[in-house]
Amino acid sequence: MDGSRVAFRTLFSVAAVAVVTGVVFVLRPAAPVVSLGVIYVVAVVAVAVVCGLAYAVPVAVASMLTFNFLFLPPVHTFALRESENWVALAVYLVTGVVVGELATRSRRLAREAVAAETLRQSDAAKTAVLRAVSHDLRSPLTAIRTASEGLANPSLALGEAERHELLDTIRIEVRRLERLVENLLDLSRLEAGPAVRTPDLWPVDVLLATALEQLGPDAERIAVTVPTDIPPVTVDSAQIERALVNLLENALKFSSPADAVDVKVSAAERGVRVTIHDRGPGIPEADRGRVFEAFERGSTAVRGTGLGLPIARGFVEANGGTVSIAADPVGATFVLELPAAAERPALAT
Amino acid sequence: MLVVDDEPQIVRALRTSLEATGYDVDVAATGEQAVAAAAMRPPDAVILDLVLPDRSGIDVCRELRGWSKAAILVLSAVGDEGEKVAALDAGADDYVTKPFGIDELLARLRALMRRAAPSTAPVVELGDVVVDLERRLVTLRGDPVALTPTEFDLLRLFVRNEGKLLTHPTILREVWGPAYGDESHYLHVYVSQLRQKLEADPTRPRLLLTEPGAGYRLVRPS
Repeated sequence: MDGSRVAFRTLFSVAAVAVVTGVVFVLRPAAPVVSLGVIYVVAVVAVAVVCGLAYAVPVAVASMLTFNFLFLPPVHTFALRESENWVALAVYLVTGVVVGELATRSRRLAREAVAAETLRQSDAAKTAVLRAVSHDLRSPLTAIRTASEGLANPSLALGEAERHELLDTIRIEVRRLERLVENLLDLSRLEAGPAVRTPDLWPVDVLLATALEQLGPDAERIAVTVPTDIPPVTVDSAQIERALVNLLENALKFSSPADAVDVKVSAAERGVRVTIHDRGPGIPEADRGRVFEAFERGSTAVRGTGLGLPIARGFVEANGGTVSIAADPVGATFVLELPAAAERPALAT
Repeated sequence: MLVVDDEPQIVRALRTSLEATGYDVDVAATGEQAVAAAAMRPPDAVILDLVLPDRSGIDVCRELRGWSKAAILVLSAVGDEGEKVAALDAGADDYVTKPFGIDELLARLRALMRRAAPSTAPVVELGDVVVDLERRLVTLRGDPVALTPTEFDLLRLFVRNEGKLLTHPTILREVWGPAYGDESHYLHVYVSQLRQKLEADPTRPRLLLTEPGAGYRLVRPS
């Protein structure tokens, strides 16, 4: 236990006895002094609840001695004239200790109940995670198995086109599995604590280029606009590239393959803004906070574990930026903002 | 060609594809076996997994580099950026990230083998871009491109190492001098400028490619 807590508890115990003593002193003309001793139980209970039994017992003894010394005849001595006063004091002490013990125990029980509930909730979260992950693992595995067994089966008369289709299925599903593994790794890194960053000065177009490269052929329908006078940002490139990949992948997933996804880079008040706009069904206002929570999918969700957006937000925030959803009549618009680098490079040479 | 990996399925897939391409393939499952095999029958290239049962692939890399001229291509896992960079520092020539595509791997190998005879031609054509290294002139589809001296030095380094992965520290050392070896501050900004001047779409570069977490590579546009 650290020193400041001991000090606080000691002070609280002394104050409790002092306050009750004051109250007894004030009430003395109104009631027989022996019966006022019961008020010390209040001090004992308060100390037991706030500080625990270890403080309640000394407070009970101190209360008895104070009451005896100040109020019971002969006053200002620890001697007692009447034996009834001894009995009364013993009763107060026992009551104080018992009540103190009960208060401590109920405090502990309450604490245990909270712990049990936390454990139950984290178990429920784990179950939800496992269910989502195993679904997302199993469906590509099934597709790969079916396609590869189809290719290997000599009794199937497959034409060239069918063989290509099955091979394509395998490639696409393998890619899905790879992305899932990457996302789980990222998430576990983010959950483990503040992500370790290796920040460097990056122009946003270089980060975007890497993100587009990682998205592969799907990225062809992304239309990018980057003006030339955008200031560079100081970020961990791998983290921001991953955030961009996840936001772009989300936009591609939730919009028709016939529609473009627009990416616009602009200078913002305190840095650089990247808006990612798709022409999909959009995100209902009620879902806009939820889509950034792990394993949540918006009500219009197609498929996926729902890991992409929380990871994007986690990495962007770790780099001092923000991700939000702008109100938009058509489709969804995600806005990523990154603070501009403090130092500007000299670009003269 | 020496393949070093302890996962039999990966070795099998690599061996099949490499032999089908016409390479002669030896296999090792541990670091010790790899060093012994490379000493017995010196390979032109080593494909080396960084995670081996007996010792780290980075160690093996450093040891091989001590006495072997073989090109070293390391296989690194997603998320192990640090390992990858350490292997490149220890003398590896290039890397591919697991899970990798076989086409990508073969292309990297071809580039590594070709590098044995670097070009010294003063004028290099890279698709629409023509670089005259002696006269420090660059043209894009016949039109001259104005490059700053640093931009040109950077481009020249890439052209002289066509196809090769150049790590951030290597580039900084070569272009800015040894004092800049540790911070890549200005490098990315200059790469962005070069792309804006030379690429048709700077956000979809075809000439000057990023190798995430490691460096840049200049390739001849196909």
